Amino acid sequence: MNMALSSAITLTKEQMVELFTNLVRASHYDKMMYRRMMQGKLIGFYHPAEGAIAPGVGACTFLNKDDNLNPHHRGHGITHMISKGIDVSSFLAEHTGKDSGCCLGRSAWHFSYPDHKVYQQSGFIGHNFAPSVGWGWAAKRRNQGQVVMNCSGDGSYGEGRAHESLLMCQNWKLPVIFFCENNGMAIFASAEEMHPTEDISSLAQGYGMPAVILDGQDVFAVAEVALAAIDRARKGKGPSFIECKTMRYNEHDIGTPDLKGWEERSEEEHAEMRKREPVALATERVLADGILTQAEIDGIHEAALSEIEGVEAFADNSEIAKPTEEELLAAVFAD
Amino acid sequence: MGIQYTMPKLAMAMNEGTINEWLVNHGDKVEKGQQIMNVETEKVSYECESPEAGYLCIVVPEGETVPCDTLIAHFCESEDEVAALMASEPANDHSANAQDAAAAPVVAEPPAATATTSAVAPAPAGAVPARAAGERIKASPLAKKMARDNNLNLNLIAGTGPGGRIIKCDIEEALVRGVQQAAAAVPQGGSIEKVRIPLKGMRKTIADRMMQSLQTTAQLSSNWESDITDLLATRKKFVAREQQLGTKVSVNAFIIKAICYAIKQVPITNACREGDDIVIYDNVNMGIAIAMPGTTEYDSGLMVAVLHNVERKGLVEIDLEMKALINRVRNGEATPEDLSGSTITLSSTAGIAPPGLSTTPVLNLPNAALVGPSTPVEKPVVHNGEIVQRTMMPMSFTFDHCLLDGEPAARFMTALHEALENPELMLA
Amino acid sequence: MRTITLIDAIKEAYQEELRRDEDVFMVGQDIRGGIFPHTKGLVEEFGADRIVDTPIAESGMYGVALGAAQEGLRPIVDFMFGGFSYVTFSECSVTTGQYHFLHGSQRPLPITMTAGVGTGQRLANDHAMSIHGTFAHHPGIKVAMPSTPYDAKGMFKAAIRDNNPVMIPWHMGIMMLKGEVPEEEYVVPLGVADVKREGSDVTVLANSLQLQNALKVADKLEKEGISCEVIDPRSFVPFDLDTVLKSLEKTNRLVVVDEDWESGSFANTVSAKVMEHGFDLLDAPVTRVTLPDMPVPGGYMEDYIAPNVNKIEAAIRSVLARMAA
Repeated sequence: MNMALSSAITLTKEQMVELFTNLVRASHYDKMMYRRMMQGKLIGFYHPAEGAIAPGVGACTFLNKDDNLNPHHRGHGITHMISKGIDVSSFLAEHTGKDSGCCLGRSAWHFSYPDHKVYQQSGFIGHNFAPSVGWGWAAKRRNQGQVVMNCSGDGSYGEGRAHESLLMCQNWKLPVIFFCENNGMAIFASAEEMHPTEDISSLAQGYGMPAVILDGQDVFAVAEVALAAIDRARKGKGPSFIECKTMRYNEHDIGTPDLKGWEERSEEEHAEMRKREPVALATERVLADGILTQAEIDGIHEAALSEIEGVEAFADNSEIAKPTEEELLAAVFAD
Repeated sequence: MGIQYTMPKLAMAMNEGTINEWLVNHGDKVEKGQQIMNVETEKVSYECESPEAGYLCIVVPEGETVPCDTLIAHFCESEDEVAALMASEPANDHSANAQDAAAAPVVAEPPAATATTSAVAPAPAGAVPARAAGERIKASPLAKKMARDNNLNLNLIAGTGPGGRIIKCDIEEALVRGVQQAAAAVPQGGSIEKVRIPLKGMRKTIADRMMQSLQTTAQLSSNWESDITDLLATRKKFVAREQQLGTKVSVNAFIIKAICYAIKQVPITNACREGDDIVIYDNVNMGIAIAMPGTTEYDSGLMVAVLHNVERKGLVEIDLEMKALINRVRNGEATPEDLSGSTITLSSTAGIAPPGLSTTPVLNLPNAALVGPSTPVEKPVVHNGEIVQRTMMPMSFTFDHCLLDGEPAARFMTALHEALENPELMLA
Repeated sequence: MRTITLIDAIKEAYQEELRRDEDVFMVGQDIRGGIFPHTKGLVEEFGADRIVDTPIAESGMYGVALGAAQEGLRPIVDFMFGGFSYVTFSECSVTTGQYHFLHGSQRPLPITMTAGVGTGQRLANDHAMSIHGTFAHHPGIKVAMPSTPYDAKGMFKAAIRDNNPVMIPWHMGIMMLKGEVPEEEYVVPLGVADVKREGSDVTVLANSLQLQNALKVADKLEKEGISCEVIDPRSFVPFDLDTVLKSLEKTNRLVVVDEDWESGSFANTVSAKVMEHGFDLLDAPVTRVTLPDMPVPGGYMEDYIAPNVNKIEAAIRSVLARMAA
């Protein structure tokens, strides 16, 4: 494994505060989505991110507005998008079928924020790999230092298009970061059973792409490596593969049983996972390092909850989208 | 329909083939593998083996050149099928090839029977097509629309499309023919059709019921005259109180009341034949014959509506209900009850027939009897020993002699006559 | 006016659009060397960043176009042969077709897709199949095919300038067909059918190679007094039904020729639309000439299995057929 990415970066206090804040926000957003799903206040489904939020925060907090981002579907991209500075009120509105939704209420749970270079969402796992090549190619051609943060899970690397993407991005030295959030589970399929090697990042070796394996519960560790990878890509040195070992505390999506293979994941396993809860770990760190006081930490939580209240109010006070068939037919084509 | 035999593509570059010779005859039974045809292409000739077994129905004769994949024959399961196919299958017309005209036709049919795919084929003679009863008429959507728009009866039009389908040119031809016939007929002094009304719908129903009535009863009609001068004077008083009563009481309402009186005297006149029983009814449901418009401006129709339970009703009630009933029927809003259940029928020609008309109306089955008044006439009659002018209403009574005889019929007529001449009886 | 081949007409369209707009670029496999003549020589003029060859990785190749189009560039994706588009089908049908609509009409996706399709080279199914029917089925993608050099140049230009995804294959059977093409700038709009030959007895709807076949049949039948109106739909999505209906008002008979498998074909779509919107105009059933439902055979069978002049002629005769008196 080429570890040349890490240890060159040390986070500043401001950066750590920003990371911590995003982590707290992500945690509360996830809980809000979970709660609403259970209350029947969301359209479609929800794939809870609890336990797996640190990688997204670390990967996205320091992206520029004009960097491309493919958010991981876990948590419906909210962790990643809020860390990149996107206001997700219109995403919650979309998720509740409102006309103020980012997709005009048409898409249930797809997000698209083209101004923030978050272009598409799709139900096909691995849909991110093909356009990542294109985003990277366009970025390189434009030569303004943009990068592509391509986040997806361990399961997505089964797709053939993942390999095509790795091959082509490395071949052309495109500024694409393959950010693998390995929580060890697809739906019921474990990476253990479905992948021939323990580390997904070993794929990168095959393409001559530098790779790093991280503790995905440590948001600060993730951020350091992400910054290094982003810097490398901006400088035109090509793609890199970051594998975060993380965990999925809940079932794949709400309502689906929490199985591994065909058996329930055990209580022991759950207990073991919760020993390394990302917010708790980060709180411990910021207190220990004197980055934040408890009062400040409480303030961050309060601010997050208040922010989310506003997002919910926006969605709940919007009208349900009810376009006519004619209006929808007219929208199939642009112009 | 048999299995199709198309001109085979025998060589890569082959686009068309000439049938040099059919090695079997039209209608022959052939076996699979048997040599049946000699085909020439690009100066090379091939002996073709039959791909199927069956009776050969030749479509393209010897000497003809056709493109590959063109139909040249059918393999049929029987000789009958061959014959049937020849009657209906359109053969390709390759008359563009001058040599073909000289080729002897394989089929022993008159030349006119050979169909053509030309779009300007001559129109067939306008014979009414022979279709089996209940056979579905095939017509293209366009032809149907044209027929509708021009009021044409598809039954009378022969179809020249595949399978006998009526198509646009058939309709066009029928329209031209129609005009031609009319134009041709005048100089010859023959009959010029004004309009043709099919015996369908209401007309057919009336026709069927009239026939049935006359054929299944021993009905006869008797006629007399009743002096309705006093009745009319009484009616005048009712009419003067139109506002109060809410209606201008009609003469028919009085007649209905009179009939009810007569029925009370002779109940068997208020009866119906049901199977082998004569059912005499306690209540009087008065059938009322109503003139209706026909299908064109030239013909008319007729419906019998029913006023229920008139024996209990007063003059005004009868009059109002009768008028409402007639309205409903004429507006097409009659209910099933309005049109069924009569026990005796009133069929009046009063006001539309010449004065004093004597009529013999047909019974409305399954009633046993029918009363038929007609237009009153002013006449000199002997009244209280003097000759005076009185208003005489011609009356007729038709009854089914199967169900009642002359004696009760006469008693009924007398009772009716009495009530008409003495209105106090019908009001009692 | 000069005459050029259909394939050269497409090349001219490429050259003109590449020159006109910096954002236009092409991605495919072996397009720099030019498997077909229309991409040969482009890299010399426009450079390897605008004429891009990729490894044999269709999803990655298409991904270049998809991602670039989302970024505001205007890619042309050349699949080489139509069937190869299916290797990355989810990207080029579902993801592409739904992008604009499902994401709330925020951004268009100006991708042009193309490939060689069709019978005539006896290469069998995977190289000979048509794909327009399949792509026409997926909403959000415009689908068109040219039948003449003039249409080819004008339609490819229109496709590249269209802000929507456009799948515009070209038929290899008419690759070398020559036709008049003006030197001046012109564009042939998508979504408009073209009456290629006027007539009065039967309407024949046909495209690309089959359009040329239909014209040949029409010439032949003219001598027998049968007048065929031959219409080229040019676009399958959006489809110009009005032109067909207008023709039917005159002829009342329709033969639809579609070089595609019968089941699920565009011919079926047209037949249903005509039946619904033009029922009373029909004097004969709408008759289709399509590929039978079998993988397109190679070898010499292709000659008589695929739609050809004989089948078209037989279909025309069948809608005109009349019986004996």
